[in-house]
Amino acid sequence: MSKEANGRVHLWAFLQGIGFFPGGWRDDKAQPASVFEREYYERVARMVDDACFDAIVFGDQLQGRDAAGRTPGRLAIPTLDPFSLLAAMGSVTKHVGLVATVSTTYAEPAEVAAKFASLNYVTDGRAGWNIVTTAHPNSSWNFGEDELLEKSLRYKRAAGFVDTASHHWQAAAGKAEGAYKNDWFEIENPLTMPTSPQERPVFVQAGQSEDGREFAASCAEAIFCPAPTIEAGKEFRDDMRRRAAEKGRNPDELIIMPGLAFVLGETEEAAKAKHERMIELADVPLCIEYLSESIGYDLTVHDPDGPIPIEEICATCEFPAGMIRGMLTPSVEAGKTLGEHCREYATKPRGHAIFVGTPEQMADRIETWIDAGACDGFTLQPGFMPNELELFCQQVVPLLQERGLLRKSYQGTTLRDHLGIAA
Amino acid sequence: MFLSMCLDIAGAGPGGETISAFKQRAAAIEAAEPDVVILAAEGDDGAILPPKLEALVDSSWITGTLRTPCVVAGLPAGHAVPFHVARALSAVDFLSAGRVGWMPIATNGAEFDGAYGETRDDADLVARTDDFILATQALWDSWDEDALIIDKQSGEYLDSTKVRRVDYRGKFYSTMGPLNAARPPQGYPVLVRDVDTVSGAETKADIAIGTVASLAGDDAGIKLIRVDASDAAALADAKAAVAAGTANGLHLTGPAALDALTALRAEAAKPAASAKTARQSLGLDKPANAYVEGALS
Repeated sequence: MSKEANGRVHLWAFLQGIGFFPGGWRDDKAQPASVFEREYYERVARMVDDACFDAIVFGDQLQGRDAAGRTPGRLAIPTLDPFSLLAAMGSVTKHVGLVATVSTTYAEPAEVAAKFASLNYVTDGRAGWNIVTTAHPNSSWNFGEDELLEKSLRYKRAAGFVDTASHHWQAAAGKAEGAYKNDWFEIENPLTMPTSPQERPVFVQAGQSEDGREFAASCAEAIFCPAPTIEAGKEFRDDMRRRAAEKGRNPDELIIMPGLAFVLGETEEAAKAKHERMIELADVPLCIEYLSESIGYDLTVHDPDGPIPIEEICATCEFPAGMIRGMLTPSVEAGKTLGEHCREYATKPRGHAIFVGTPEQMADRIETWIDAGACDGFTLQPGFMPNELELFCQQVVPLLQERGLLRKSYQGTTLRDHLGIAA
Repeated sequence: MFLSMCLDIAGAGPGGETISAFKQRAAAIEAAEPDVVILAAEGDDGAILPPKLEALVDSSWITGTLRTPCVVAGLPAGHAVPFHVARALSAVDFLSAGRVGWMPIATNGAEFDGAYGETRDDADLVARTDDFILATQALWDSWDEDALIIDKQSGEYLDSTKVRRVDYRGKFYSTMGPLNAARPPQGYPVLVRDVDTVSGAETKADIAIGTVASLAGDDAGIKLIRVDASDAAALADAKAAVAAGTANGLHLTGPAALDALTALRAEAAKPAASAKTARQSLGLDKPANAYVEGALS
């Protein structure tokens, strides 16, 4: 496999739900009903595979989207289990990697190891695991527990979890056997499961905190992160490469993949108009539901034109009240109405960069960031699906290929091959 | 006469069955047109064991090519988690247009106990499995069938009054909900039980697999006699029992299962062409949602 032919930019398609913008499902070209059908996922998977992306990535959560028991009525919440979607997408493709987000807090290593071993097996080694520890307070209730494990303990459990799952995979490959134990898990025997050309999934991580960065530096092979500016991207990548080197790892085997939402147009003006429309489609009632979900408090019972009911919110919200108070206080002090605050919250970029412009400009931006060492590629978040992703594949991908940034054909078969990292 | 058999990878690890060999075998089973394929391993005695290829992943992957009316995911009964299982099966039911089933399997618990590092008390296993089933079904009931609206003009995506927390509290499992997955197209996927390893269950299975004797007292909608396909006398007896109305079909086991299935297909009626979901193909009722007014009356 030639490193040059494998390209200089890695592309991942982040495909959770109907797209990046909360109101995007209402666009004329959005297909919100088709996300319940196999054909939609088969079509998207083939499109991404044809465009030579490294991987398709889904995020995940372990709770419904309700706030205080009320599920939002205007948000197109994703409802099909991502792991199942990736297995279905793997059945119609031959190359593209498949990265599933799975929490180590509400599962057992044997179960997770068996699922990834099986995904790796049916796709001939294309699985990746975005290792998360679950931060939403309501998740614990779905698993018969009252409270989330404290954060630093969640990361310690994650490390023990990954090591235990790895024992299962090594055993499946004939490289380990028998009992295994660490501080968190003790097993008597590995589970019988298949192996594949890629013995274990590629490890992906997304934590930004000190705990998260240390965990990623120790075991992640790729990192999904926000990077609103080129400077922020460079700072993060340099920091992670330094941490990996300190742990005795080759920093080139840690791929940094910041999120990049995008809205494409034939002209800059057309792209801006489309972006405006995306924001307009998130009406005030939708935005109020959006914030409700984010704080675990049902704001729909309050007047959108009235003040932000900060004391009522902090008395019963499901997220830690201190955190929510800190988040709301600037808007309360500025005298904003509830509706105004919610709209601002729901339409701001949430840490990820948003590109709005022409295909040529987007290719320029990608090249600039790669040349500056701000990242190794991008986790692309289409404004809405499937139209924006189609535009990217049809109009930006050929430009990246012409410039020698993106591979013109796959140079290997496993996800690790596409990332250009050793097994 | 309904016809069923198991499918799992023939061997795991280095030297195990390759994916291309497994695909070919699945295609051969597809060609023989069974009514039910259970994604599970088979013991020498025909017992149904949890699969080596994890069945939630397998069922989603394989239903893209395997058109069998009912594809059943075999799950380790002692260690499966209601929330994970409920949402994965919701997805597979959507992706297969309503053709998925599920089967909590109690057999071979020791390997799973060892691998999970947690031993399940055999005396509790049936009660635990019942509780697992009820918790999972409660999560499917957290969404009404018609909760989704998806109207771009009005901006209404779903009806908030049709999604709810269920706060299921059982002896072994508790789960709040709502599930982050819509109610499966079949209401609940088809529930399959091996009555020779799970007896005395309080939940009602859609399909029961066992012997003529063990099936006698069961109230499942469909009863399948487990029979070693290479035992001609046993096969003849089982067919006679089906003809006499004692059972609804056969679960074929052993190396001769596929050949027997091919031979039997000619004499067994196929599901109506209009049948789309597994429940329609098998003539099983669609379960009601306990939270929908009038649904259980």
